[in-house]
Amino acid sequence: MRVLVGTRKGTYVVESDRARKRWKVNPVSNGGREVYHVAADPRHPGTLYAAVNSGFWGPILYRSSNWGKRWEEVATPLTPVAKARPNPFESTDPSPPPRPVQNLWHIEPGHPSEPETVFIGVDPFMLFRSDDQAKSWAPVPGINEHPTKKDWNPGAGGPCLHTVIVDPRDRRRMYVGISSAGTFRTDDEGAHWRPTNAKVEAAFLPNPYPEVGQCVHHVALDPVDPDVSYRQDHGGIYVNRNSMDGDWDRVGKVRGGPKDDFGFAVASAAARPGRAYFVPLTGEPRTTPAGGLQVWEWNDKSRKWRTLMPPRRFPGDFGVHREGMGCDRLDPAGIYVGTTTGQLILSPDAGKSWQQVPFQFPGIHSVSVA
Amino acid sequence: MLREFAPTSRLRSDAPTVGALLDDLEGRFPRLRSKLRDETGALRRYVNVFVDGENVTTRSPLSTSLVGEHTVDILHSIAGG
Repeated sequence: MRVLVGTRKGTYVVESDRARKRWKVNPVSNGGREVYHVAADPRHPGTLYAAVNSGFWGPILYRSSNWGKRWEEVATPLTPVAKARPNPFESTDPSPPPRPVQNLWHIEPGHPSEPETVFIGVDPFMLFRSDDQAKSWAPVPGINEHPTKKDWNPGAGGPCLHTVIVDPRDRRRMYVGISSAGTFRTDDEGAHWRPTNAKVEAAFLPNPYPEVGQCVHHVALDPVDPDVSYRQDHGGIYVNRNSMDGDWDRVGKVRGGPKDDFGFAVASAAARPGRAYFVPLTGEPRTTPAGGLQVWEWNDKSRKWRTLMPPRRFPGDFGVHREGMGCDRLDPAGIYVGTTTGQLILSPDAGKSWQQVPFQFPGIHSVSVA
Repeated sequence: MLREFAPTSRLRSDAPTVGALLDDLEGRFPRLRSKLRDETGALRRYVNVFVDGENVTTRSPLSTSLVGEHTVDILHSIAGG
C-alpha cells in the first residue's frame, strides 16, 4: 500500500505492506514545488495525479502511470479567455478581466463507469472535467457560472474549489465544496447545482445561516453509506444523513467532543462505517489545542465522541490542512495525518496505536492512500 | 530552470515584438505555454524579460519592439524560500 504526500516542496510516495509498520519513502518528485494534492486513480492501478503549483511557472498537472516512479506533464486547465482582448482604454465592458487559474486544489477520478473521466477543482472558483485522462479539460459551467456566485467570497486560501466528490453509486450525482461559498450538489452530471448548506453556521456574515457563503473546509462521504456526509466547516463539525439534502446536524457541539470544533481535515474509513475522524484546531493560530496533536472519532450511530490519541503522544503545536488526513481501505483501518510542519503520523489499527514515519517531510498539504 | 520546458538556451527568431517572440517560443516548445504567461497573456510574476540588457518587464514588455538585431534574455527572478 502507498501513502501519497503532497508537500510545500514536492511529491512523495511512501510505501508499506499490510502491517503498516515499516515505511519506505521514495525520492521526491517535483522537488521545490508546492503540491496541493496527490490522487490515485483506482480505475487504473498505478496511475497518480499531482496538483503542482509552481511559484515560478504557475499551476502544472502531472501524471504517473507507475506509482510515481516517473511523472509526465499533462494538460493543465486554464481559465477560458477571449482570443482577442479588447483595448482596456476603449472597452465599455465593465466586467473585471478573467482571473487566471492560480492553483490546482483537488483531483478527483470520475465514476468507475467512466474510466477516462477526471475532475479537478481550482482557484478561482472553478471545476473542470476531462474525458481523456487529463489530456484536455472543459470547464463545468453549471457550477462555474452558478447564479449565487455573486455571493461567494474567497477564504484565506483564496477562491478555491477544493472538494470534489463523485457518488460511488451514481455518476450523475456529485458534490463540491468551495471557500467561502459552501457545498453544492448536482444530480444531472454537473448541468445544474443547488446549494446544500442548511443549518451550517457562517458566523462571519450578517445572516449567519445564508443559502450560500459558508466556509466549508472539507467533506468526506461515508465509504459504506454514501448518503452520510461528514463536514468540517469553518463554522464547526456537521453530519448530513440524506445525501446533503436538508439540514446539517452540528455534532461538533455534542457533549464529550472536542472543546472547539474548528479545523480543516476530515476522513472516514471503509472498515469503520458510521464514523469520521477530525483534527480539531484552535481558530486563531490554526494549531492543535492543549499542546499536542489530537485525532477525534465521531460515531454517528452512538452519537458519541472519543479521542483516539493521548494528548501528549505527540507534543507540540501542529497545523493540519484540509487534505491533510486520509484513511486506507484495510481492516483494521489505517488513519494518516500529515502536519504542516512535515510529520506523517499514522495509526494502523483504527486509532489504538500511533507511530510517526521516520522521515522529516516538508510542510504537508495533502495525504491520500492508494 | 526554463530548460525543463524548452530544451535550448539560445535561438534566433524574426519576431517583431517580445509578445510575438513568446508566441514563437510557445509554438516551438509547447510546454512553455502557460509557464511564461498566464492564460490572460500577462507575464508570470517571476519572469523577467531583458532586451539588450535592459529589463522591460515593468513597462509594456509584450509590445516592446524587436525590429532589427536585438538580444533578448528571459530569466526568472530569485524568489522563494
